[in-house]
Amino acid sequence: MELLRELTRLQHEHGWLSDERLRTLAEERNVPLYRLEGLVSFYTHFRRTPPPRVAVQVCRDLSCCLAGGPALIAELRDEFRGQDDVEICEVSCLGRCDAAPAAAIDDKPLAPITLKDRAGVRQRIAGRSTIAATGTPAAQERFRVDPYATENDHFGTIRKWASEDADIFSRIIDVLKGAGLRGMGGAGFPTGKKGEMVARQAATPKYVICNADESEPGTFKDRAILQHLPHLVVEAMILAGLAVGAEQGIVFLRHEYGREQIAVERALGRAREMGVLGSNVAGSGKRFEIEIFVSPGGYILGEETALLEALEDKRGEPRNKPPYPGEHGLWGCPTLINNVETLALGASIAAHGVDWWKAQGANGYSGLKFFSVSGDVARPGVYEVPYGTTIRELLDRAGGIRDGKALKAILPGGASSNFLPPDKLDTPLDFDAVKEAGSMLGSGAVVAIAEGTNLFALATNIVTFFRNESCGKCVPCRVGSQKGVELLEAVARGAASAEELAILPALGETMAQTSICGLGQVALNPILSMMQHFPDDVPGARR
Amino acid sequence: MPPTETVTLTIDDREVTVPAGTTIWDAARQAEIDVPVLCHSPRLRPVGVCRMCVVDVGERVLAASCVRPCQPGMKVQTASTKVEQHRAMLTRLLLSDMPSERDGASSGKACDLEALGHRYGLFDNHGQLRDDFTARPAAALDVSTTPGLSVSPPSPNKGVVESAAVQGSHAPRLPERPRDFSSPVIAVDHQACILCDRCVRACDEIQSNDVIGRTGKGYLSRIGFDLNSPMGESTCVSCGECAAVCPTRALVHKPVTLPVLAGDELRHVDSVCPYCGVGCAVTFHVNGDTVVGVDGRESVVNHSRLCVKGRYGWDYALHPQRLTTPLIRRSEYYPKGALSRQVQSSARDASADKRRKPGGIVDYAEVLPAFREATWDEALSLAARRLIELRDFHGPGVLAGFGSAKCSNEEAYLFQKLVRTAFRTNNVDHCTRLCHASSVAALMETIGSGAVTNVFADVARSDVALITGSSTTQNHPVAATFIKEAARKGTKLIVVDVRRVDLADFATHFAQIRPGTDVAFYNGVMHVLIAEGLVDRQFISRRTENFEALSAMLLAQYSPEQAAAICGVPADEIRAIARTIGRAGSMIVFWGMGISQHTTGTDNARCLISLCLMTGNVGRPGTGLHPLRGQNNVQGASDSGLIPMVYPDYQPVGDAKNREKFERAWGVPLDPKPGLTVVEIAHAALHGDIKGMYILGENPFLSDPNTAKVRQALANLEFLVVQDIFLTETAEFADVILPASSYLEKTGTYTNTDRRVQVGRKVLDPPGEAREDWKIICDLAGRMGYPMEYASTEEVFKEFSSLAPSYAGLTHGNLGLSGKLWPCADPATGDGTQILFGDRFPTPSGRGKFVPCPWLPADELPDEAFPFVLNTGRVLEHWHTGTMTRRSHALSTIEPEAFVAVNPADLSRLQIEPESLVCVSSRRGTITLKARADRTVETGSLFVPFHFREAAANVLTNDALDPFGKIPEFKFCAVRLERADG
Repeated sequence: MELLRELTRLQHEHGWLSDERLRTLAEERNVPLYRLEGLVSFYTHFRRTPPPRVAVQVCRDLSCCLAGGPALIAELRDEFRGQDDVEICEVSCLGRCDAAPAAAIDDKPLAPITLKDRAGVRQRIAGRSTIAATGTPAAQERFRVDPYATENDHFGTIRKWASEDADIFSRIIDVLKGAGLRGMGGAGFPTGKKGEMVARQAATPKYVICNADESEPGTFKDRAILQHLPHLVVEAMILAGLAVGAEQGIVFLRHEYGREQIAVERALGRAREMGVLGSNVAGSGKRFEIEIFVSPGGYILGEETALLEALEDKRGEPRNKPPYPGEHGLWGCPTLINNVETLALGASIAAHGVDWWKAQGANGYSGLKFFSVSGDVARPGVYEVPYGTTIRELLDRAGGIRDGKALKAILPGGASSNFLPPDKLDTPLDFDAVKEAGSMLGSGAVVAIAEGTNLFALATNIVTFFRNESCGKCVPCRVGSQKGVELLEAVARGAASAEELAILPALGETMAQTSICGLGQVALNPILSMMQHFPDDVPGARR
Repeated sequence: MPPTETVTLTIDDREVTVPAGTTIWDAARQAEIDVPVLCHSPRLRPVGVCRMCVVDVGERVLAASCVRPCQPGMKVQTASTKVEQHRAMLTRLLLSDMPSERDGASSGKACDLEALGHRYGLFDNHGQLRDDFTARPAAALDVSTTPGLSVSPPSPNKGVVESAAVQGSHAPRLPERPRDFSSPVIAVDHQACILCDRCVRACDEIQSNDVIGRTGKGYLSRIGFDLNSPMGESTCVSCGECAAVCPTRALVHKPVTLPVLAGDELRHVDSVCPYCGVGCAVTFHVNGDTVVGVDGRESVVNHSRLCVKGRYGWDYALHPQRLTTPLIRRSEYYPKGALSRQVQSSARDASADKRRKPGGIVDYAEVLPAFREATWDEALSLAARRLIELRDFHGPGVLAGFGSAKCSNEEAYLFQKLVRTAFRTNNVDHCTRLCHASSVAALMETIGSGAVTNVFADVARSDVALITGSSTTQNHPVAATFIKEAARKGTKLIVVDVRRVDLADFATHFAQIRPGTDVAFYNGVMHVLIAEGLVDRQFISRRTENFEALSAMLLAQYSPEQAAAICGVPADEIRAIARTIGRAGSMIVFWGMGISQHTTGTDNARCLISLCLMTGNVGRPGTGLHPLRGQNNVQGASDSGLIPMVYPDYQPVGDAKNREKFERAWGVPLDPKPGLTVVEIAHAALHGDIKGMYILGENPFLSDPNTAKVRQALANLEFLVVQDIFLTETAEFADVILPASSYLEKTGTYTNTDRRVQVGRKVLDPPGEAREDWKIICDLAGRMGYPMEYASTEEVFKEFSSLAPSYAGLTHGNLGLSGKLWPCADPATGDGTQILFGDRFPTPSGRGKFVPCPWLPADELPDEAFPFVLNTGRVLEHWHTGTMTRRSHALSTIEPEAFVAVNPADLSRLQIEPESLVCVSSRRGTITLKARADRTVETGSLFVPFHFREAAANVLTNDALDPFGKIPEFKFCAVRLERADG
């Protein structure tokens, strides 16, 4: 953490990292130059050339693409062509899919201003607007998961359990298992089981990590939770720490979430004031501290072992598994890693109890879930809905398809999920039900695509995202994603025939079978499912 | 996990039982099941990035067998159709990015990826890829190859790369990745790189050189050197390990002599490296009569590792300046004197010679006219006649011989036998006098044996390793890799040196002492050990003597504060170092010339010995005294008796019993008087007391201190025979020059720093009429009336080992490919004794002896006229007087000329621009050379390597001697530094 923090500090202080500065740092820290090079060339946050007066980052990914991003970016480029002091750089998803097409200046998001608001963007580039952006308004202000009516009630569970001298481990495992909570980062691993695994390890120290690095196109629900419910995340981390026997917690936060960082810091401050964080957690005699680590950038860091590598000041390249982080995590120690939403829901369940939780579901399911809804809907945003709500019901809450258009397809679980045709609209948003329907719930990012969109181009955009975000560690992902993109672009250009796409299932299968991590395993899913359900969208396809 | 635990699993329907923790790949290998792999090799930590070794273990996805541990009951399919299909696809992906045909392909290097391509039938009959994912035509190549781009551009801004190349582009294909020819020894083709990370691990983990890493991300990743510098501008030390492990043609050794072409039929000769005392096992690859490459060979000594000299520095043997015929000095070149400009001029004030071009090897046009070619018969007859005349007219005491630590044990043995029997004197010595004579004197005096007590690789078992007076990464580079590896795995390094040597970066403690204050520093450390009760009482009482005398002196005079005042290391740091040593379960001590080459060299070594004795750090695993021996055979040449006061195996000539033994063996009466040492011989020649010399493979003109005196001494000799492979600076003073064999041209044994005796095997025939050295010695002996007849060096070794108890039982035959450590009780099966003196020391009392040493200042201290302290030594790329290395293309390209290393603060104080010419002067002379800014040198100190004839460091050095070891003070004299134009 120290080295990346120091690089981040130098980047902020000077705006870029010169060779000279890196050489000095290498000497001070007695670190080989290649290690610094490996870091500064891997993480997107670092610059190796002096910055222009204004660096504008524009999102090129899924939801922003659906919102007309490519044309608007081209117009923006035209407008500032020849102005050397303005750099316009296309970047991966900024996590502002509800303010699409999204942009940021110097890594600070412009939302709610979008690229459609040309005057607003122009003003910000000119540096004339001094109004601090307020962020995207939440689709709702009050959340059912929050058990606390006022700030003074925060951290009630930990205070109560500590005063009762409860066996926190068995209590928390009991409620998690009773509620059947699964990991909301995308994989859906049973949360209680994960906790037990870490608790079982004899080795110390142990770590609890909150994975707040959501970066998949279409996914921004954790952002809302961090903004509005940070106290639940913090409380859950403390509970987890006491349960598994850890004394150190780390919130791994993506660097574009500056506003959310402030909210989390405030919650941490409150927790310290209230005595639930520090050397004697709520009078239990146990110690637990939480620090924030701001990611220097890259979708891959959401992969938990890549995240660990980053925390160890290495390139964020996923590890070979097994061993899993529960046994061999940060610095080789047992480490519990949970997603933001998983933690928040866990804290809610702990406070409300299993019975309450079970009563919250819809269509025979239990619980609550947050969804990021974006794409061609009238009111994109984060929605807290009963677990088991159907896709149709969720889209209705988001105002339906915008401009009265018809729905063409759905991505129910973010960029890596398979396209579903409209006849699957009544599928309940449940891990197994969506899988049954031929896709996956993933990170709960529902992207609606209206009629009139060419899905081949959109799928190519998504595969390109994975190519761009591949860490490059293993051959199938690094080379396979590139060859996939080359082929798709060639077909789009007419330089290759549609028949040549026949190689993709085999390539996709090799990537799925041999890639080290999920990124490479799913990278071709969008194009493969698109070709399955929407073959007519392939350029030059025989009709 | 206890090592006894095992796991049983099924691999391809075969039941296999392996120790728990074994990977599937290793288990399969043990069962002789071949699982293809690109990123892994048994020498490397597995990383599982190429995915070629995937196997089916019945899970959702395949598992990379090189990183997956075996589980009980696992059922593994290593070659199912599914697995092979995916491997074929991976191969196809990688091959599609390979450069079609570039320079690397003509290196003759096999490509593991291509082999897989053939395995999976991906090539057609013309060797073209059947389908490479790239066969479709590309649209406008707007980001296409930048013409002339042959080195990596400086790392660009990430954002710029993204928008220009991959992400922003819907550009058809990326530009080909660049090639980088900036390194003198390795060609890099990034397009042929498959990011297997083998070079990364070879550089950072095997060699611990920390230069190579990955740069960039995703498809734009590639290997980078330092901050993505061109390789030749990086901190790369050219060890070549990266190219040795590269499975494709991304990293290729540049041809040193002839390029190796596919289809060349090569001979392979297993031998040992000719350079330093580490004695790395190598294999020479030979095409006809030309060596075309060298690889490290798996051996306990070096585990296939090599350094730049070993891997790329052997072409000196094929240099056109090799002597191929005997030479006799023409009569018109008497009286004798120096011939070449540099050898003449180094005495004069260098200011007369400021505009000369940068130096280099001797211009034969300047020296050869002084000699005429002769037959062997004429040259040897003349030599024998003149030596006999001098001996018989003046007495045997006027003759002397310098043997060589670069020659074999057999040659060293024969040389000293010749001097003792035919010259009839003990005036025989060699360069050990200039390197570890003082260490040996101290070791013989205190523990009764001059060799190392433990091998260097045992540092892996040490809690603490003390490295002092040794720039190990430069002078024993491969041994240094073991020390660095140990440090990474938890051994605490304590580095004590006047320069901030590379190993300091790996050290727990680095103490930069003032020059010439070693004794004070170690006395301070020992004071703390005694005062704080950190000594090994039991070892002291059971195994040593004279502790009280030492203890009394230390406690009275060497408190940390008193020591700090002399050596400049803060008292608390002295305490911290002492405590680290005192609390360690085991400590090994390595030292080099920084300890020995002082007028107090013997005292310095005595302190290190006392330190080990009082902490009980001799005779156990992870402990020991290890003076790192310099030359490939300096240990062996000493063992063989190339020392004036002892016969082979250190049997003193003054002892009548020894004399009788050797008189019986050699059949002639022997001189009972110990002979003169190297510098004493030079002094005697100066005064006319030595009149005739035979110098074999040494170059005292450059290697001995105070060149002005050496010049006079050499010129003063009535008769000088020089036997060498080149016409050296010393040979300019010769009456007869005999063309000798290089290391590659003969078979013999060489004893490395660990006491390991290894066979160096003949690779080539000597050029022209040049002859193997041992045959020349025998021929000269015969002509001087002492016939020496041997059929082979094997026979010579037999005679030597019969007279040297330490070598008893060893033969060329049983030394085999990996050699043996002496002593070796069971040569038929044993490897020899690694750790000496577990029970007793070979001293009369059986005990180790403490010798108290008060600190004494160096012989010549800086003053107003000569304010700097000069330190001399070697650099990584060069060897001693440069005879060999300056004739190696690679080595002389990397480090072509003389320089003086100066602290940048001193440079700016004296208004000297880095890289400008400066004059360095001592009371004995002046040299002109380039100034190099070097922060590892302390202010007030200078460092000059002694390899360079055009600016010979020994023009400046002081020939004052250590009274016990007779070693000169190469590491300390007072000098002045000035701008050459000022």
